[in-house]
Amino acid sequence: MKFCLYTSEQEENIFTRKKAKTWRRSGLITEQQLRIMEECTNPGVSQTNVFFRLLFFVFTCVCASAIIAFVLWLANFNNRVGEATTLIFFSITFYFLAEYLIRNRFFYRYGIEEALSIASMTSLVIGCGLLMDNWRIDNQLAVIIICLLLAISAFWIYLRFGFLYSILISIIALCIIPFQLSLPATGERLFLLFILFLILLISLIFDKPEIADFQKEKTTIIQACLLAAIYVTINLRIFDLAKLYFRDIGINQQPYAGFPPYLYWISYLLTFLIPIGGLYWGIKSRRRMIINVSLLAAFVTLSTNKDYLGLKHSAWDPAIMGLLLIALSILIKRWLTQGPNKTRDGFTAENILKPESHGINLADIGAALTPGFIESQQPVAPTEKFFEGGKSGGGGSSRDF
Amino acid sequence: MNIPSLLQKMHEEKTLSAKQLNYLLDIHKKKLFSVHQELRFSFYAGILLVIAGLGLTIKQYFAQLGDIAIIGSLTAGSLASFIYCFAKGNSYSHKEVASPNIAFDYILFFGCTLYSMDIAYSETQFHVLGNLWNNYLLASFVLFLFLAYRYDNRVVLSLALSTLAAWFGFTVTESRFSFQEYHRLYAIAYSCLTLLIGIFLYRLAVKKHFFDIYLNFATHFLFVALLSGVIHYKLFSLYFLCFLAACVILVLYSLRTKRFLYMLYAIIYGYIGISIVGLDIIRRNTFLVLTYFIVTSLAVIVLIFSLSRKFKENA
Repeated sequence: MKFCLYTSEQEENIFTRKKAKTWRRSGLITEQQLRIMEECTNPGVSQTNVFFRLLFFVFTCVCASAIIAFVLWLANFNNRVGEATTLIFFSITFYFLAEYLIRNRFFYRYGIEEALSIASMTSLVIGCGLLMDNWRIDNQLAVIIICLLLAISAFWIYLRFGFLYSILISIIALCIIPFQLSLPATGERLFLLFILFLILLISLIFDKPEIADFQKEKTTIIQACLLAAIYVTINLRIFDLAKLYFRDIGINQQPYAGFPPYLYWISYLLTFLIPIGGLYWGIKSRRRMIINVSLLAAFVTLSTNKDYLGLKHSAWDPAIMGLLLIALSILIKRWLTQGPNKTRDGFTAENILKPESHGINLADIGAALTPGFIESQQPVAPTEKFFEGGKSGGGGSSRDF
Repeated sequence: MNIPSLLQKMHEEKTLSAKQLNYLLDIHKKKLFSVHQELRFSFYAGILLVIAGLGLTIKQYFAQLGDIAIIGSLTAGSLASFIYCFAKGNSYSHKEVASPNIAFDYILFFGCTLYSMDIAYSETQFHVLGNLWNNYLLASFVLFLFLAYRYDNRVVLSLALSTLAAWFGFTVTESRFSFQEYHRLYAIAYSCLTLLIGIFLYRLAVKKHFFDIYLNFATHFLFVALLSGVIHYKLFSLYFLCFLAACVILVLYSLRTKRFLYMLYAIIYGYIGISIVGLDIIRRNTFLVLTYFIVTSLAVIVLIFSLSRKFKENA
């Protein structure tokens, strides 16, 4: 059964066009060839560039919120039911408006339909929240219902419109539920892991080799996000690292992070096994996102290793980690370059596909912030103590005028 | 149409060579898989971590390590990086020059950062220039600018421009955000100077691809300065006029060059600035405030929509 408003052919054509543009940018095809590819892959939808999309999204959100606020202000309801009904009414209106724009104006990731669908989901959830508040439903139960509602509505939006971020919203909403069940910390984590593994399993079942390329890309991103979420759930010391970043060095670490020792050590083992397993999976199936998430997880594992073992962090830890990263990069690069045709089993360090450039990138921003960091890390110079060293004693005879 | 069938079709129609077909199919089927970006990222992250670790170690253990050890190692590290870059760097060209290897750009950046740390540490400890210590920043800016152009390094150019900003008195470590009158004027002066350098070098056709970095720095400094002026002086001020003029110029530039990042900046900053003035006039009238947001956001949507259509038609 197909729920999506776009056909698979449309999505595949959009995917192919995107790849063709990357090939052109990287000098692999000519302008003429790109034009032929674009002629052959007309998706029949209206698209815009990323900046206009962002502007459309922001201003549609502003407009939708202002309209709801305006109606609520005009109606001046004295009860929650009136407010909730208005919100649900707008939720339905925004939803059908988004569908209309896609069906009749053929919008594809235009920003407007995305903002409308998000506004629809948000107003539905807030409206239902207000209704539950009016009916005096227990807070914990209300949060669970709201999370379920958010998860279902976000999942529906993913199915219908194909917005990848809405399935991520759906997963996040589901992940909040275990923390509302008054379970012990271990129970919460295990329940959360159960949910995440279940979703991962479902996505793996649907991830068949014959699925279209665009779908493969989406599935990979979802699986990478799930892998990251599983890792964050398993690593019991990840928040200690975050506290260290915010200079909360004075924190006393809870022994075994408040978990039973056997679970603690299992989690320690898993923090190593997940990145290794993820890396193996990513390399074998050649999924970039899985490889990147696994590498990031491996980096976090090494950073939290001292916390797990109850050791104190040293000031030079980041430098050692940095040297390790540099050494690894050089070794991998050299190993790949020395292979036949500068490849090893298809892997190469050559720059084949150039990323899109918008004038400034993250590396430039990182460099721009460096002088501020250097300034903040300067030790305070010891001030000369006037009464030390006999400078003032004896009439201060040793001090120069 | 999926990629293999499209490539096959083009090959059969003789619009794609056999070599291209095989190469693109290899890339598509991931028989050829580049990890170039990942290696670059991990190298850069590694360099940033080393810099962070060095900074933290010096801050915490400077008394135990001693000045000679700190200054000596920082100088040696920075010199080694510069010597490596002088030895390995490609010859200069006004046009874009590719880096000789994946690590080259970041080694140069590392050298520049060690140099900055060295100078900052020496000055903090010995106060050689006293109240004139700021001139170190200006000298560093000149050095970094030279290195950025000599080795075609965008990262070092960003470092140079932020060092110049530091010379003007701007840092990102301020715990409290305040923008006094002199900050505003300095920020405007900084952005004008940055823009002038960028335009001058662009006109000379020297590393034209660097212009975006100049423009990004200049845009943000200028708009933040003007916005703070608009917040302070509202409608009847030169700030508001300059702010509107800057928005219009940026929009026109964006339309002319079809670089829509600048359109994004102009519209976001412009909307914030005009809303500050508009809401100040409306004051606390809820009806007008809500109507303002509905009408203006719709107006912006219609404007961008017509622009996006126009560019599609032109394309």
